[in-house]
Amino acid sequence: MTIVAVDIGGTFTDVCCLYETPEGRRLSWTKEPSTRKNPVEGMVRGVGRILEQVAAAPGEVTHLLHGTTVGTNAVLERRGGRVGMLSTEGFEDTLELGRGDRAEIYRLDSEPQTPGFIAPGRRRRGIRERIAADGSVVVPLDEEQVATAVRDLVERERVEALAVCLLFSFVDPRHEIRVREIATKLYPELPVSLSHEVDPVFREYERTCLTAFDAYLRPVMSAYLGNLTDRLRQAGIASEVFTMQSRGGLASTRAIARRPFTALLSGPAAGVVGALKLAGAGGFENAITLDMGGTSADIALIAKGKALTTSQGRFERYPLRTPMVDISTLGAGGGSIAWVDGAGGLHVGPQSAGSEPGPACYGRGGTEATVTDASIVLGYLSPDYFAGGLRIDPDAAWRAVEGVGAKVGLTAVQAAYGIHSIVNARIADGTRLVSLKRGYDPRDFSLVLFGGAGPVNGLAIAEELGMTTAVVPFAPGALCAYGLLAASVEYDEATTFKLPVDEADPARIEEAFRRLNAHGLERMVADRVPPGDVTAIRTADIRYIGQSFELEVPIGTPVDKEGITRAVAAFHASHRRVYGHADETAPIEFVNLRTVHSYRIDRDTRPVTFAPSALPKPKASRPCCFDASGRFVETTALLRADIAAGQVVAGPAIIHQADSTTVVRPGWSCKVDTQGNLLLVREASK
Amino acid sequence: MKIDPVTLEVVRNRLDAIAQEMQNTLVRCAFSTTLKEGGDCSCAMFSAKGEVIAQATANPTHLTSFLPAVEHMLRRYPAATMREGDVYMVNDPYEGGSHIPDIIVIVPIFAGGKVSAFGCALGHMLDMGGKSAGSMITDATEIFQEGLALPVCKFFDAGRMDETIWRIIERNVRVPKAVYGDAMALIAAGRTAAAHVSALIDHYGLDAFEALVPALMDHSERLTRAAIQKIPDGVYEFVDWLDNDGIDLDRRIRIQVRIEVSGSEMHFDFTGSDPQSRGPANCPPGGILAPVHFVVRALTGHDIPSNSGCFRPVRVTAPPRSIVSAERPAPVCIRYHTMKRIADALLGALATVMPERIPAAPYGSDLSDSWGIYVPETHEHLVFMDIFAGGTGAGSASDGVDHHSCDLGNSRNIPAEAVELEYPIRVWSHKKRIDSGGAGRFRGGLGIERELELLKGEASISARGDRHYSPPWGVNGGKPGARNAIVVVRNDGRREIVPGRVRLHLQTGDRLVGMTAGGGGNGEPWRRDPEAVLDDVLDGKVSRAKAESFYGIVIGADGAIVQTATAQRRAELAKTTSGEQIDRGETGLGLELAAD
Repeated sequence: MTIVAVDIGGTFTDVCCLYETPEGRRLSWTKEPSTRKNPVEGMVRGVGRILEQVAAAPGEVTHLLHGTTVGTNAVLERRGGRVGMLSTEGFEDTLELGRGDRAEIYRLDSEPQTPGFIAPGRRRRGIRERIAADGSVVVPLDEEQVATAVRDLVERERVEALAVCLLFSFVDPRHEIRVREIATKLYPELPVSLSHEVDPVFREYERTCLTAFDAYLRPVMSAYLGNLTDRLRQAGIASEVFTMQSRGGLASTRAIARRPFTALLSGPAAGVVGALKLAGAGGFENAITLDMGGTSADIALIAKGKALTTSQGRFERYPLRTPMVDISTLGAGGGSIAWVDGAGGLHVGPQSAGSEPGPACYGRGGTEATVTDASIVLGYLSPDYFAGGLRIDPDAAWRAVEGVGAKVGLTAVQAAYGIHSIVNARIADGTRLVSLKRGYDPRDFSLVLFGGAGPVNGLAIAEELGMTTAVVPFAPGALCAYGLLAASVEYDEATTFKLPVDEADPARIEEAFRRLNAHGLERMVADRVPPGDVTAIRTADIRYIGQSFELEVPIGTPVDKEGITRAVAAFHASHRRVYGHADETAPIEFVNLRTVHSYRIDRDTRPVTFAPSALPKPKASRPCCFDASGRFVETTALLRADIAAGQVVAGPAIIHQADSTTVVRPGWSCKVDTQGNLLLVREASK
Repeated sequence: MKIDPVTLEVVRNRLDAIAQEMQNTLVRCAFSTTLKEGGDCSCAMFSAKGEVIAQATANPTHLTSFLPAVEHMLRRYPAATMREGDVYMVNDPYEGGSHIPDIIVIVPIFAGGKVSAFGCALGHMLDMGGKSAGSMITDATEIFQEGLALPVCKFFDAGRMDETIWRIIERNVRVPKAVYGDAMALIAAGRTAAAHVSALIDHYGLDAFEALVPALMDHSERLTRAAIQKIPDGVYEFVDWLDNDGIDLDRRIRIQVRIEVSGSEMHFDFTGSDPQSRGPANCPPGGILAPVHFVVRALTGHDIPSNSGCFRPVRVTAPPRSIVSAERPAPVCIRYHTMKRIADALLGALATVMPERIPAAPYGSDLSDSWGIYVPETHEHLVFMDIFAGGTGAGSASDGVDHHSCDLGNSRNIPAEAVELEYPIRVWSHKKRIDSGGAGRFRGGLGIERELELLKGEASISARGDRHYSPPWGVNGGKPGARNAIVVVRNDGRREIVPGRVRLHLQTGDRLVGMTAGGGGNGEPWRRDPEAVLDDVLDGKVSRAKAESFYGIVIGADGAIVQTATAQRRAELAKTTSGEQIDRGETGLGLELAAD
């Protein structure tokens, strides 16, 4: 089995390869600059390079897995397809009107909070039809009007995809299905997204949004995946291509082309899955992952060996009601700028210097002090080991930080430490919000650190949160690609099943689950997965009657009376954990039933060894600052490769490796595990 | 104890995060559609002395309501007498409440054996009793008709609920289950604050926390003063009008404001505003702070940390027994629209001094209706509350936003599907209202049209709204937006245009159509970019007729701009420019509908 995994990021495309050698299974990785205009070019080059590196022929590749930001960028840069939208008459403006609330309460020049740009008024039509909450037809579908509207949208407005969201389609989808039949008969090539297939749940604005995004991404994703498959075929790779979904599982090209919204947040999900695998191998069931790069910090939670997902996520300001790894993004990274307000208050970010002009130390014209500049002043980063071999100017960093310090009466070193404290505390706050809203205490978790700045700032953040263990992966830069290798092919199915629990007949629930199961297996078989290797998980969304938000709890197979009782108990327990109270006597109801089918691609349990990398030796020690006093202490500096198995390095220490620098703060110690990961432990807190 | 800028910033962020966590807890635990879908609820944290420390992103009206509530609570229950697990509650508008339906819950937070802060949560209950369902009685003439008033009381004593208080509430409200669920959600929010603030104090120590809180206020005060200093010194005045008080429907109510800016201080004087009204348009004592605080925060910069320090440079003079500060037993339940009009007047006073900051008037008042539905077949009594926004005013460089809550409110509309799943109501439309945005070089945001039909039984509705008579004003040559309107379409087809504050009765098959106002325009319409006007026509925001009459854009049969006719029409319009900075339009009920 030769699996190639590719993570296409904004700056670099990381590639991992898992392959066989006579000595056993090995893992290699490499980096290739990303090609922004057509990301497929950089990807194909990267795949060629890794195959050369491990001396494998393209034909030997059995699986190609990848994570992509194509969907994310299409939305950020407003480069999606031209979408036409059909809604129930009277609701044609739902996409643009939204719910009417705003995020910044004291702003007088507020901005629209809805994605009206996907389909402005001229590309939206109201359709005469109406289905009631109980599924009965109040107004029959005006088929002629549908045909006229579709013709008009295609011929006059030149739409490339159609989004259809009719009221109560999740109760009875017959009108939506008929709309597609009519549209497809007129224009067989026109992609049509139906809301009951995308997001079969009530609240029309939220469902409309996701359906619109699905249609918006279709032309972009189809073109991208088509191009990708062609180029890989030309390069001699004939294997199945899988793409990471926002939920943290893989899906075939076929499945993604049909449901492109599932890959909107493909990129960041892979990193979390990689961290999940590492944490698991390290024996940590509960972990918080922190991916801190130049402009932002991504935080996610792993509880009991599973990455937490949400179905109530957002992208920019827009609701995105689809399962996704629950990643919180904060505008806090190495490039975050420190600034002083009119009353002598010190702040960091959310503005970032980005990579152009970048931190002051980049010498590209940036003069404002950033977190990275502060890291240089504190002695954490060395000009000799800067990521990507960049040449940097430490004096510029000092000048910039000194300037900030002068405004608030601090020395350069104190100011640098202050900048770190502020950014670290903000990330700690973000982490608390992520964990506490789920009812978890961060102190019960380990911190997995990656991204350029993650291992630099991570332990200070851990201290802020009272966490005592942390992991820095063997290759923090390649973690996303590694995550793809660890992921499973996953398909989720859901159906609305609204019924008080007391009235629910186990046989009917079982019947509904069987239908979901059949759909899930069908999709696996389409990907040539042997049905016997597929695992299925069943869950139910339950809530107190009267509440609007549900909790998802597992339910056993097959469904029987006892199984329901157990699910109910799990619901109460979960409600108590998340909300701090529960009422065993209050009536509760089922809302949705869900299944997740998964298939693990790498089913081999033999250990994997890692290919090493080489770096020059640093000076044995240098002065660093670890507290607000601004005092420097002589600190050991060493290469990760030079830490022997079993050796314990006591902090303070700085550990360099090819793609990152780990700061081991005083009070922490560090060793290397068999996988090459750094394990950091805080000694009894001082 | 000296506080360094680093710790200050770290703790400030932490407190903001806790306030937000309270709000999340509240919305997710709530039972009524008003809270869980509508978001008509808010959270904040207060110091032991009764000052705001941090606020969640919520409703500005509520956030200010906590000030008098905490003050009255401390007067009745000194902090020294409080115990861990206590929960205090109030809704009496004359003892720190806002109006009867808003229940305020206050949870003391302990550290080192004494009260060090308070977690506060407010939620608009579906019903608190009184003369009509929803306790929003448009024609009340005394507070006694508005429902059950609870003075500040101790709802939980050291962790134990006072059953008597609950039984009294249960007996007096129409939907006790929903009220109970929502009250528990408020308490859960308060406890969230207690848990996290205690942890924060553990981390930094009580001494440090007690020094930090005033330091946070001082910091915000300094920033606010610096921002006020940039407003030119002077006295600025403005008058705006409320439609009526719900009783004397033909009498407009005068809101007069006088703002004196001198150095880093502002004085807000409401002398000259009308006396308190017979109907419930009055602000309760302290209610005037909501629009004043909103305007101060909005003008000095939304990035200044929100706490009591922001309001130290501010002085308020409110005449007693007036529409802006009533005395018991005047009714107050419909005070929200008054507060919004006060915000309009305050911004109007400064609109000519800060034209780049202050937009034209926004829609001015959400349309909200409380329904009491009786279904004879099943003997069911249901209570439903609907609320939806209009368009915001155009800025000096950007159009207003359609259907967008502003100034004192921040509710969400109730999804049609949520309404129909729970009530015998069909929502026939929720769509933009063409031509409702005030014309201007920058156009006001659009209002919406929302049509509801009663499917079963009968309903008694308290409809609330304002700006049914005077439209949202335009600025710098911009035109006013369309005013709010409500039309009842009877099941036999008869149409009735009704004023904003009225109690209505619907029979099965009757429909209620609410049309919200659009924002005022900014700058002369004939200066608007012709392409922007064409886009508006194509997107259904402006009709061809109005494109021609207001904007001077003539569109041909082929859908393109007719250049010569347009140039001519624009030249004519340029001659008629009045040069007035504030365009208030005509006053009258349903003028836009009459024109149709």
